[in-house]
Parts: sequence; C-alpha cells; structure tokens
Amino acid sequence: MTHSFILAEGSNAALITFMVYTLAVFGIAALSNRLLKSKSFMSEYFLGSRGLGVWAFALTFAATSSSGGSFTGFPAKIYTHGWVLALWIGSYMVVPICTMGLIGKRLNQVARSSGAITIPDVLRDRFNSARFGLLTVVLIVFFMSFNLVAQFKAGALILKVLLSDVEVFKSFSLSVAEWTSGVGFFGSDSQYLVCLLFFGVAVIAYTTYGGFHAVVWTDVMQGVVMVVGVLILLPLALNAVGGLDRATQEMSKMTPPMRGYGVVQLDDSTSEISQLGKEDWLKMSDEDSTRVFRVAASKTIEAGTETVYGVELLEITTPSEIERILAGETPSEFVDGAKVTRFSDPDSRYGTATITAKAAITMPPYAPLFARPSTKMTPTEYIQIPDNVTLAAGESKSVLIEISGRLEDQVFNDPDGDVKFSDISTKSVKYAHGADTPGVYVSGPGPSATDSVGFLSLSVAISFFFMWAISGSGQPSNMVRLMAFKDSMTLRRAIFTVALYYTCIYVPLVFIFCCARVLVPGMEAEPDRIMPEIAVYLTNGIGAAWLGGLLIAAPFAAVMSTVDSFLLMISSAMVRDIYQRNINPNASEGTIKKLSYLCTLVVGSAAMIVAINPPNFLQDIIVYVGSGLAACFLAPVVFLLYWPRSNVQGCTIGMLAGFTAHFSMYVTGAFVNDSFFRPYRLLDFDPIIVGLVVSFTMTYFATLATPAPPQELVRKYFYRRVES
Amino acid sequence: MESSSNSSPDEFELDPVFLNSRREAWVIFGVWFLCMIWAVPVSYMMGYGHEIVPGNVPTVFGMPTWIFWGIVCPWLVADVVTTWLCFRFIKNDDLGVAPEELAEAAGSADQSATGDAAAKGGV
Repeated sequence: MTHSFILAEGSNAALITFMVYTLAVFGIAALSNRLLKSKSFMSEYFLGSRGLGVWAFALTFAATSSSGGSFTGFPAKIYTHGWVLALWIGSYMVVPICTMGLIGKRLNQVARSSGAITIPDVLRDRFNSARFGLLTVVLIVFFMSFNLVAQFKAGALILKVLLSDVEVFKSFSLSVAEWTSGVGFFGSDSQYLVCLLFFGVAVIAYTTYGGFHAVVWTDVMQGVVMVVGVLILLPLALNAVGGLDRATQEMSKMTPPMRGYGVVQLDDSTSEISQLGKEDWLKMSDEDSTRVFRVAASKTIEAGTETVYGVELLEITTPSEIERILAGETPSEFVDGAKVTRFSDPDSRYGTATITAKAAITMPPYAPLFARPSTKMTPTEYIQIPDNVTLAAGESKSVLIEISGRLEDQVFNDPDGDVKFSDISTKSVKYAHGADTPGVYVSGPGPSATDSVGFLSLSVAISFFFMWAISGSGQPSNMVRLMAFKDSMTLRRAIFTVALYYTCIYVPLVFIFCCARVLVPGMEAEPDRIMPEIAVYLTNGIGAAWLGGLLIAAPFAAVMSTVDSFLLMISSAMVRDIYQRNINPNASEGTIKKLSYLCTLVVGSAAMIVAINPPNFLQDIIVYVGSGLAACFLAPVVFLLYWPRSNVQGCTIGMLAGFTAHFSMYVTGAFVNDSFFRPYRLLDFDPIIVGLVVSFTMTYFATLATPAPPQELVRKYFYRRVES
Repeated sequence: MESSSNSSPDEFELDPVFLNSRREAWVIFGVWFLCMIWAVPVSYMMGYGHEIVPGNVPTVFGMPTWIFWGIVCPWLVADVVTTWLCFRFIKNDDLGVAPEELAEAAGSADQSATGDAAAKGGV
C-alpha cells in the first residue's frame, strides 16, 4: 500500500467522519432549541439556566480551553522542538484548579445574587455602574471580534489540511475556483474558501439555533472525541516505535533538518512527472553517500522540462534517520526518475524578494550577475536567484533568492543599476539554534529555526507558567462557564474531572508526538499535518481506517468548540449588555429572542466574510487577544470578588492600565522589532506578565486613592444577615 | 463589618461563601506557585546545558530524566493535591438562587397549583 493511498483512504474516512459529526451537531442544536421553549429565554440561551452538571460543565470548560491549537499547533511544536514541549505545557498540571478554583465559586455566587447573565453584567451590577459595564462590553467585543475571525480562519485551515487528499473535495474546490475566478474578493485559494463556508455555516447554524446548551453539549461530544482519540493513539504509537525509551534514544541522535532551494533533474524531458508534491522524497547520490530530501513546497513541472529550478526542499541530516528512510522503514516514498543535483549552501539563507528591472534583462539560474557587493553590502555578501528570470523594462517580479554572507541591510542595489531588490525576506538554511547538535531534541531549550537562544529559554518557560494557569483564569469565555454550573459540588467534581482530563490529554500528546518524530520523518515541511498523518499511519497499521477518521476529527472538534463559545459571547454582549440593559430595558422576551438569533447570525456571518480575506499572523492574533483579555479582566475581577474595599474607579483604572501596558509592549515591538506581533519583552518576559503586574498594582493603589464603595453594595456582596 | 459601617454590626456578618472562597483562592494560588518553583528550576537544572551522549540518554520510564522529575512527577503530585482540594478542602457552600430561578420556581408552582385545581374541576 503506497503512502499516498494510505493518506487518501484516511482522508475519505475524515470526510465521512466530518459529515457524521456535522449531522450530530445539528441534532444537538435541535434538542437544545426545545429547551429554550420551556425556560427563561435569556438565561437559557446565553447561560444554560445556570444548571450545568459535572460532565457538561467539566467537558465544556475543557473543550473550550483546548482550542484547535491543542491538536494542530501543539503536536506540530512537539514534533519540531522535541521533549522541551513538556515544560512548555507543564503548567497545565494546575490549570484546572487555577482557572476553575481561583474565582469559580465566588463568581458564580455573585452572578446569582445579582442575576447576571454575562460577564459585563457581573461587573456592572457589582458596582452598579452602567459606564463600567459598557467599558467591559467594548473591550470584550474588541478582542473577541479579532479572535473570532482568527478562529474561523483556523477552523477552515484545519479542515483544509484534513480534507486535502479527498478527491470529491479537490474537484469541488476546482469548480468553486472557476465560479469565483475574476472576483478578487474571494482570493485565489478555493480550497480554503470551501472549507471556510462549510465550517462557518455549520458553526453559525447550530450556535444560533441552539444557544448555550447546544454549545455545551457539542463541547461534551467534542471533548469525548478528543480524549478517546488520544488514548487510542498512545498505545499504537508506543507499540509502533518500540517503546518510549527507544523513541527518546532515537531522538537524542537527531539533528534539525536544513531547508533551502534545490535543483531537481528528471531522467528525460518526456517524464510523466507533472508536479513535485509535499509528500515526495528525493535523493542526491554520489559514490560515497546519499543525501535525502523531502519536497517542502509543491512545484508544478512544465511539459518538456528536464531540469526543475527553485524547488523548496528539506534535507534530513541525521545519519540513522537517513538509513531508516533508505531502508524503507518509514512511510517515505521516493519519486522515480528524479534526483536532486544541487542544494543551498548550509551557511546561506533562502527566501523571497521583489526585483525591479530598469532595462529588459534575461538571466539564467544562479547567475553570478548579482554576486557583487553594493555600497550597502560587505564584499563577502552576494545574492543569487535560483531560477530563470526574464523581465521587461520597468517590470517588477517576486523571485526566490539565496543570500550568502552577512546581511546588513534589506535594500540591495545592483552596482550597474539594472536591477533593484526590495521586500527581502529570508531564513537561515540551518536552524538558528541546535543545527548539527545531536541531543537538542531531548534537552532544553530545544531547537529553533529562527531564534538563536533556542525555543524555550528560562524566562519564556516562566512566562508560560503564567500564561496558561493565571491568564487562563482571566478569560471571559472561561468566566462565563463559571457562572453556569449548578452548585459547589458540581464545581468540585468538575475540577477533579478536568484535572484528570488534561492529564490524559497533554502528557500522552507529548509521548505520542515524540514517537511521531521517529516514525514519520521530514514533517517539518508541513508540521501542522502531523496529527492526521500519524493518525492515518498508525490506524492503517492495524487495518482500521475508520479509527483514523475519528482521530482526525479531534482537532476539528477542538476548534469548533472554541469558535461557538466566542460567537455566543459577542452576541450576548450586544443583546444583553448593550440593547437590553442600556437601550430598551423593557423589551419583551419575543423581541429579545428574535434579536438574539439575529445577532448571533449576523456576528457569525460577518466574521466569516472577513475571514475570506483574513489578516495574517493567525497564531499571533490568538496570543495577543488571550493575553490582552487577561491583562484587562483578571485583576478587576479578582479584586471585585475578594476585596470589599474595591471600587469602580480602581477597577476601571486597573482595567485600562492593564490594556495600555500590554498594548504598549506590542506597539514598542512594532518599532524595535519591526512587527506589531513581535512584542517587546521587558526583561525577556512575555507582555502578559507586564500587563498583569501593572493591572494588579494600579487597581490596588487606585482603589486606595479613591473613595470607599457604597455601603449597600458592600453589604449585598460580602455580608449576610445574621440569622437569629 | 470589615469596612466602615453605619448599620448595627450585630445585624450582618461576613458571608461565609466569600470567606471560604477567599481562603481557597489563596491556597490554590500557593499550589500554583509551588508547582512553578518545582517544575521550572528542576527542569532547567537537570535538562538545560548538559552534554548529551547520542543514543545513551538517561531515562525514567522511557522519558528523559529531567522530564520525569521536572514535569511528570510534579504533574502527578499536582493531581493528588487537586483531588484533595476538591474532595476535602473546598467547602460545599450554598451559592444562592438567581432571580430568574426564583421566578421559574414560582411559575412552576403556580402551574402546578393551576393543574391541581383544574384536575379537581376548580378552574
């Protein structure tokens, strides 16, 4: 059975699983909608009537916290950086007790006593301040809108990865490409567009129709799929690799791959090879040795071509791994009739640039024309273009480039003035940390392609302990779930359940994907595909392709359960916090009902439309929003719950100070690091720590500097009448 | 009352749910801090900057030693502590009743009364 056939079979299973999944989700939404008819609409639609039991509460909390990243980004990181990811995720040992236990019981009590349904409701009622409530609405809508678009994009990308080998999907996407050709708004990636529409319509429909209970019940189903998938994968992976110890010892021999551009020679110009795909493997052999490469970006080959230039390749550098690949012990399929004849110099960098010609010019690949220093280059630096280039006078074109030598500036000028380079973007062929160093995958800080200090420095490790456990407590999407559980006993049992759940998910995930590093080499070319790849590889090994489909559904389930929660948060902020509480307090239940459906539908559709052309920096947006929300909300919420002296002035100042401090780290990064999404790290700590420290400090001192809160509010939320 | 009060101090007392929650929050925060000062320094001292002999890495249950002592061991301890907190330490407080829950309870009581009356032919 060939590797591509295995993938196709697994992807068909993924398609069937996806269809079954979608049907189940709609069934759940229909059941939830029946509940809406028998209860108070607002409380039921946005908060599930505060009646969540242990399993529903535990699994909706766990599934919402585990976004799509847990099943795509996290496995990809384990694969790319090795064992150090156990430390990166280590604070999940206390995430359940922190995120649910620190404020859960008290928040639930305060929300009940005020009748609050949303987080802005709680903050507004706690201080009886409409302005404070509106400020929180603005912040939530601001952050969540960004996040919603980013999560829609994440969902579509995950679906695209999962379905990329399904024939029906590919042909349908081609048809969509024809229908939308010429309409720039729809972009050039029809597969992404199709996935976005499927994903978006499904999520918007079931969330709109079913409300909070639909979201919770689908979360439960998704949570079960996730843990079952991981627990099935673990023994399969350990068995396939020959035990965890063997995986660790093999990893200790590994060195990071190199990535760059190569030249591929076909046996003759009548070769039937029309494309070099991402699964393809190639060799470069001489008398003494054989070098092994994987295609890192698909390349179309024109008919009649014998020599293919500018092929992006990944070179495997570990001798024992090369031996296993050549011996056929891994799922690596070499392309017949093609070989690599040239690859980037290990000390060079590769990337892209825009060139503009003043006069018409034609250059052969690797032309030495550019091997000249300009006034902004040292004599040892030069650029090459690893492909044929033909430009008319005044024409600009994006090209692949290789730079050898030290880069001092991002503008290069040909001394003859014929060609100008701009928009140069390059990466090192070798990893910035860990290249040529065996053992880097089993020790800290882990290899990094871009960061010379490695993947996880000490300060970053500390930052992540804050990030997951403490900032997780400050997420409004988590807080709203803490308002929905039934009683204290439910909370206690749910914390225990989630603690076990995370132990069963995250520790095995590290084991599984360390094994995957050994079992499936060369996935650095497309690390986000490692989850479906390993699921299909392992389950086909035991003849259970359907199981692969189920496992592949886990990341899709994870991102779905995150998106639906965010969607409901934004619509609740608009309907409850803006319309009902500020515009029309006497609105009838029928009006609120129609408005809630409409708002969820409109917000979801708007996010989906924006996601057709989404901003880049997907993961960066998610990190910015998550840490920004914590910097704004955690300190005020902790103080208003636990400090009778807290007042609206102090909490407002603390909230704004947290926002500003966190935001300023990103703005400073835009100047210092040339990108908003590469924030400035004060003392090498993540902006979340700066934001939290400033927010807590400012809330405390501003509260002390302003008048004490009204007695009736203190009495209502902190005292009870003595029973005689 | 903890903050200044105009009413009679005998009429009100600090809410035990607030007191219990605050005490539990401090303990939970302490657990987080202890886990951090176990996991990060142990991992750093045992797992960073050491010479690795390829193919001969010291392991415990198949994982590198520093992962076991720095992450997996405290993780298991954290699970035990969490279990203890959940079933022994965190109090089973009454969190009250929300206004809409009261209204629904009243509504269902009315319906029940109406139903009973209808059954008896009274309405």
